[in-house]
Amino acid sequence: MNFTYPTTLVLHALANGFRHGFDIIDATELPSGTVYPILRRLERDDLVTGDWEDHVIAREEQRPPRRYYELTAAGRAVLAEARARFRVPRSIAARARRLRPSESS
Amino acid sequence: MPRMALRAALALVRVIAVLVPGNTRAQWTAEWAAELEHRSRQLARRSDSTWSRDMDLIRRALGALPDAAWLRRQFTLDADAVRDTAHGVRMLAKAPGFTVSVLLVFALGIGATTAVLSLTDALLVRPLPLPDADRVMTIWQVNRETGQGRLDVAPGNAIDLVQRTRSFEALAIAENWSVKHTLPGGEPLQPLAAARVTESFFKVLAVPMLYGRGFGPDDYRAGANRTIVLSHRVWLERFGADPSVIGRIAIFDENVPYTIVGVMPPRIELRLVERTRRPEPLIWLARPAFDAAERNNRTQGYWNLIGRLAPGVTLQQAEAELAVLSANLAREHPETNARLATEILPIRAHLAGSLRVLLPLFLGAAGILLVVACANVATLFLARGSSRVREFAMRQALGASRGRLVRQMLTESLLLATLGGALGLLLARWALDTVARLRPPDIALVDHVPIDLRPALIACGVTLLAALVAGLLPSVQLSRPAAARALREGRSSASRRTHNTLVVLEVAAAFVLAIGAGLLTRSFVNLVRTDPGFQADHVSVLQVFAYARQNTPEKRTRFFAEVVDRIRALPGVAAAGAVSSMPFGEAKILSDTLPFTIVGQVPGAGPAPLINIVPVAGDYFGAMRIPLLRGRSFDHTDSAQSPAVVLVSHSAAAQFWPDADPVGATVRFQLLGKRYEARVVGVVGDVRHDTLDRPARAELFLPHAQTGFGSMSVVVRTAPGSPVTIRTLKAQVWALDPRLSIYSSDALDHLVSRTLTGRRFNLFLLGGFAAATLLLASAGVFALVSFSTTHRLREFAVRMALGARRADIVRLVLIQAVALAVTGVAIGAAVALPLTPMLRALLFGVTTNDPATFVAVGIALVAIAAAACYLPARRAISVDPSLVLRRDT
Repeated sequence: MNFTYPTTLVLHALANGFRHGFDIIDATELPSGTVYPILRRLERDDLVTGDWEDHVIAREEQRPPRRYYELTAAGRAVLAEARARFRVPRSIAARARRLRPSESS
Repeated sequence: MPRMALRAALALVRVIAVLVPGNTRAQWTAEWAAELEHRSRQLARRSDSTWSRDMDLIRRALGALPDAAWLRRQFTLDADAVRDTAHGVRMLAKAPGFTVSVLLVFALGIGATTAVLSLTDALLVRPLPLPDADRVMTIWQVNRETGQGRLDVAPGNAIDLVQRTRSFEALAIAENWSVKHTLPGGEPLQPLAAARVTESFFKVLAVPMLYGRGFGPDDYRAGANRTIVLSHRVWLERFGADPSVIGRIAIFDENVPYTIVGVMPPRIELRLVERTRRPEPLIWLARPAFDAAERNNRTQGYWNLIGRLAPGVTLQQAEAELAVLSANLAREHPETNARLATEILPIRAHLAGSLRVLLPLFLGAAGILLVVACANVATLFLARGSSRVREFAMRQALGASRGRLVRQMLTESLLLATLGGALGLLLARWALDTVARLRPPDIALVDHVPIDLRPALIACGVTLLAALVAGLLPSVQLSRPAAARALREGRSSASRRTHNTLVVLEVAAAFVLAIGAGLLTRSFVNLVRTDPGFQADHVSVLQVFAYARQNTPEKRTRFFAEVVDRIRALPGVAAAGAVSSMPFGEAKILSDTLPFTIVGQVPGAGPAPLINIVPVAGDYFGAMRIPLLRGRSFDHTDSAQSPAVVLVSHSAAAQFWPDADPVGATVRFQLLGKRYEARVVGVVGDVRHDTLDRPARAELFLPHAQTGFGSMSVVVRTAPGSPVTIRTLKAQVWALDPRLSIYSSDALDHLVSRTLTGRRFNLFLLGGFAAATLLLASAGVFALVSFSTTHRLREFAVRMALGARRADIVRLVLIQAVALAVTGVAIGAAVALPLTPMLRALLFGVTTNDPATFVAVGIALVAIAAAACYLPARRAISVDPSLVLRRDT
């Protein structure tokens, strides 16, 4: 498969613990119309798995349950390969540190 | 308003979800909805402007489109459709003028048609929430003299009708009421609208109770506990939707305990009173037994009758029986009932009210609007199609098949129709909500009209068809070499003719609707300017029924004199009086039209002349500012012991004393069983009575002290800025008798304005249609002229090169538009003239072929057409001839 730079960013965001579509958008600063098709493609190619979060969390935050994505083993391998090709901005990791406590569970 | 943005974003996602393959659509929508929901919460915590927050949400939601498109492509591998859509979106975005116009046209056409057809469906088709609703009837009184119908029934007559009729398996009496609800802690809440009903009321409705039971014989037995049935709304709002309320005690008014015996299911709308905007009853009380005053009261109508036809009895049979019964009543009580008849109205017809008669008119208007919308869409697509001939020719030259081009057109049209349709539905929702807000009080059925999707689909389909036919023509013609050449060179004369015809049609249709709206507007203005004969500002009216509590004429005379005196003594009150038959009042005095004779005049053949006999107390004429034209007014010397005196109204004087002075004449008449021989002491000005559009009636006033009438409207004129409110006035009445019922209270100008609600409503509907059609027609003219100007740029350039001035070019552009508009107006006038008599019943002070309206609307339309040329004309004169001429040569 072909790794574009945006794909790499998305993979990197996932590896840094951004699990939901909109959090990945925030982390990568890519438009939503770019991130989602990438997620769909990664999911189709089994680099990412998606699932619904627990109802308990949703109820606590009084909103409908969100879908989250996680890297598979294959995804991790691919990310390592892609990192070698592109330089990933530090900002994602930085943002991950800042956002994680409140935004992702 | 972050909620608004969130809702818009969610709606967007739901629309886009159509693209997502069906098996994952629900999950997909849920994921987007959850993310947007989360995002909007996150944004709400941020401090930047709401606008940028809203835009953020919408921008995020728009990302759903590529996502959905990707999924769709995976699913169908149909790259063409996606590419066509993408290309279509790009092309539409490049032509914002065209896109916006088409969306507007789609939205107006679809919205208006949907709204009117949804209304029709709600009023005439949708089943009512009552079982066998077509057997439920309402009964009203009719004044045969004036032809005025749908009058509330006087208690005495209602009691007799209920006891005598055999046509109904159940016939119930309902009386509007209101109660103060007090919580157990003693805290009073907002008063509740109520209805006091007789035993068979819930048998008539035949709706199964949600909880508990309806009223039965036990609730009406002497000494029984007072019982009530709650509406669903009150049960929800005041009793916490608690099923265990049955059997509980609720406290109403001053410590009166009522036992709750039942709860009605939701959405039972039974607004029986039509003239007033009283709310639908929220609770029902089992009414106490009829008292003597009610049995004998045949002059004040304020009760309503609702019944369910007995099995096998037809509406005609029931009508015939009621006719006999009311003829009997007229024989038994000639003094009060001689001029009364009854009418029977199925509940659906009653609830649809005056709109039922007007619906065909509005359906016609919606039809015209839809035709114009189609013509307009066709015009726009024709213009666009031929301006894209180059694009299509190029694509064809590069190997695109004809089918591919047709599909491209189809995709674009569908895209526009979908978006336009969605806008149309929003418009329809807004229109229906506005209708519910502005509706006249008698149309109770239009309050929660759901959008009917069938007409929306039909309207969308029809306009889409027009778009397709018009849009496909150029691309189909392309394949014919001769036609293709013709198109490349300009336009075929056939397509120009089609185009012109469509625009003329639009102008003509707009003219017809604008004439209708114009005539209604003129009528409305005439009506508002009509002098009712009194000054309505700063006047409050309280309608007081004193028969039950003040049981002799002497007591009543004293009571009303005291009420008027007390109120007159309040600071800020300029004048106070009382009258039996209040102009524009709520409860109608039905039969005060009585025969009278003039002493000394030779009676003509036939029955004695009729006159409205009206007792007045205090300074009624001063409070209303009704002028005294001749003689003297009443004063405190006119008492029960002094000789009887009367005043006559100006029209009574003109009618009965055509060439003599009525002052000094003696008249004889009979009122409530008492004979009067009274001297006319003065003449007062005429007053319009129920509506502004009916002329004043002949009236004869006599002092209240000489009649002891029991139901009077207290009329109070306050000085500007006075602190006196209706509440302080009521307090004065209740200070004399705390248990007295005040039937209604309102400001007089409000009472007068209320009679105009129906007209305002009609004006809103027809005016809305006319404005929409006008907008469409001017868009049509604009599209046509700008289109043909583009094609004539070369011609203009040549003319300018040969010495034509800018004014000449502008004239050329204008002439085209004005010629079309004038033709349209002429055709419209020819169509409108035979149609306007349909409006006759709605007009006031203007004829159906009012020349001023026709000329004004015609000029306005031509002017609008000319104004639509502004942009094209500017474009025509701003081109550099040398550039245009050098191009394409």
